[in-house]
Amino acid sequence: MLKITQFFETDVLVVGGGIAGLMAGIAARDQGADVIIAEKADTRRSGSGATGNDHFLCYIPEKHGDDPRLVLHEIADSMLGSNMDADIAMRFLNESFNVVKSWHEWGINMRLHDDWTFMGHAFPGRPRIFLKYDGHNQKAVLTREAKKRGARLLNHHPVLELIKDENGVAGALALDVSSPEPAFTLIRAKTVILATGSGNRLYPSTSTPGMLFNTGFCPGCTAAALALSWRIGARLVNMEIPFRHAGPRYFTRCGKATWIGMYRYPDGKPLGPFVTKATRELGDITGDVWNTSFTDLMCNGRGPAYMDCTQDAPEDLAFMREGMASEGLTSLIDYMDANSIDPGKHVVEFGQFEPFLIGRGVEIDINGQSTIPGLYAAGDVMGNFRADMGGAAVMGWISGKEVAAACANRSLISAERAESDAWLNERLAYYGSFYERKQGAGWKDANMALQQIMNDYAAVGPHRVRSGSLLSAGLEYLRQLREQAVAQLSTPCSHTLMRATEVLDLMDCGEAVIRAAMERKESRGLHQRADFTFTNPLLNNKFLEIWREDGAVRMNWRSKRQ
Amino acid sequence: MPPLIDESKCIRCGLCAEICPLGLFRFDKASGNPPEVAFPDECWHCNSCVLDCPKKAITLRVPLCQMLLHRDVRQLYDAGKE
Repeated sequence: MLKITQFFETDVLVVGGGIAGLMAGIAARDQGADVIIAEKADTRRSGSGATGNDHFLCYIPEKHGDDPRLVLHEIADSMLGSNMDADIAMRFLNESFNVVKSWHEWGINMRLHDDWTFMGHAFPGRPRIFLKYDGHNQKAVLTREAKKRGARLLNHHPVLELIKDENGVAGALALDVSSPEPAFTLIRAKTVILATGSGNRLYPSTSTPGMLFNTGFCPGCTAAALALSWRIGARLVNMEIPFRHAGPRYFTRCGKATWIGMYRYPDGKPLGPFVTKATRELGDITGDVWNTSFTDLMCNGRGPAYMDCTQDAPEDLAFMREGMASEGLTSLIDYMDANSIDPGKHVVEFGQFEPFLIGRGVEIDINGQSTIPGLYAAGDVMGNFRADMGGAAVMGWISGKEVAAACANRSLISAERAESDAWLNERLAYYGSFYERKQGAGWKDANMALQQIMNDYAAVGPHRVRSGSLLSAGLEYLRQLREQAVAQLSTPCSHTLMRATEVLDLMDCGEAVIRAAMERKESRGLHQRADFTFTNPLLNNKFLEIWREDGAVRMNWRSKRQ
Repeated sequence: MPPLIDESKCIRCGLCAEICPLGLFRFDKASGNPPEVAFPDECWHCNSCVLDCPKKAITLRVPLCQMLLHRDVRQLYDAGKE
């Protein structure tokens, strides 16, 4: 039987060493708390920010004026705005400039051309809210800052389960995947911050259905935070409202606002009304506003839709290339160079990517705390606020400060009690069984089966529908799949065992999505119900919470915080 | 598929295996062999290994099914006018 071979204790356990996790660790260390950051890969190059980003949502008073509500209003009108509690957004905005200044001081260039420069994702005549920056070195810099402060980095340690006692969260069980032979690690902690990034690989790749890892965001991010929360009874929110990104095909990669060009029909006509010529200041925001355009054009036969940079000024084309390096798109640049694809001469087809989980997930309060005492969440896993890169950095920072303060009133679970925990021991046997089973199903079998079920029975618009009967069938098929997967999965090494646990996490997320989608008896955004084709105005300012309690699934509609 | 290691340039430092976000590589320093690309179809094409390799010994091969769909703009719009 696989055993626990390492034992740690800490004030703060951060799960996930991406942008949010590193910022949480840095902030908690600055407040004097003892910190462990458990990361499934290596914090220097992990997660969706692995190789860079170039837009950072923030509020800088000297640029935006004294009222942060002006920026809040722009967020509400953006593709990030639908799932937002305004009290969290206001706190985010008020603390964002301090984080921007820290990043710049640490060596991430936030001041292109020696000034705070806002551009991209913007409407003509309206305030711009995305700071253009060069994030190519962001992970290395934040890793260095976390280490400098004495945070302990536990690389190659995905977290499998949280443990709790009567006071809330008490620690976690991690898997040591640093060598092919797996082992468990037990971490007792006063508090835990979940920062595992977005949830990919739940739906099949839209561009390349046979490819599990051709995703816009990092395919190693599989919504572990949501599944860990679900299993421990924390509330998730907005799970049924789907989101899809868009970008180039078939080389799937997010970062469409880094492209400075016009979205056009094949005959050259612009898709949207916002600009007649793309510039670095505005870009063409049509892709954000009419998010479904790329799919609509394929379905109505007027497509495909193209990204056309051929009329850019030469200096804007050069600027775009630099921006792609800042954004972490160097593999795309290399590919285009090797294949003589020149954005100054060629138009590139854009499409909508598969649905994934970002900005729908763990419900937090204004301090980043979930509904379980001592359990916090930050970054792409947050269910009621989303600001992508800026959101990860600033909300990570806020949760780190808050969690350090909370430690004063929380105690550490005893080693004896943690190690004798019945749930923990059941889980050791459960995960160990996949490794000990010599023959059986591979994790890819299970992942593809899950994608099939989600795609067929919890479909995401446009031009695809959900219904009570389809969702109910999907829920039953998912139950059958999970039962068979648990009975059959066989993983011969630590890496494949990790992948199998990711798929089981995604199954929990899938269940939450399906159950919440059944409860939302209306159509809204990409959640299209064939049996409730209208949008119900009574639900305009309501969020749907879903959680597990005493073996049952519970749901509650609550008012959005204004 | 994906990362290709030029064995003549590789100095067997194992950095690529440490930092790959998807854990594609297996590396046994004692063996004296370059890292093995053990899980090639799990590559995200993020370029981390290419960027960080101290000897620039790694290139990515992008699978054919991930070709970037593009057209020459003159061919396209001129055709639309006909």
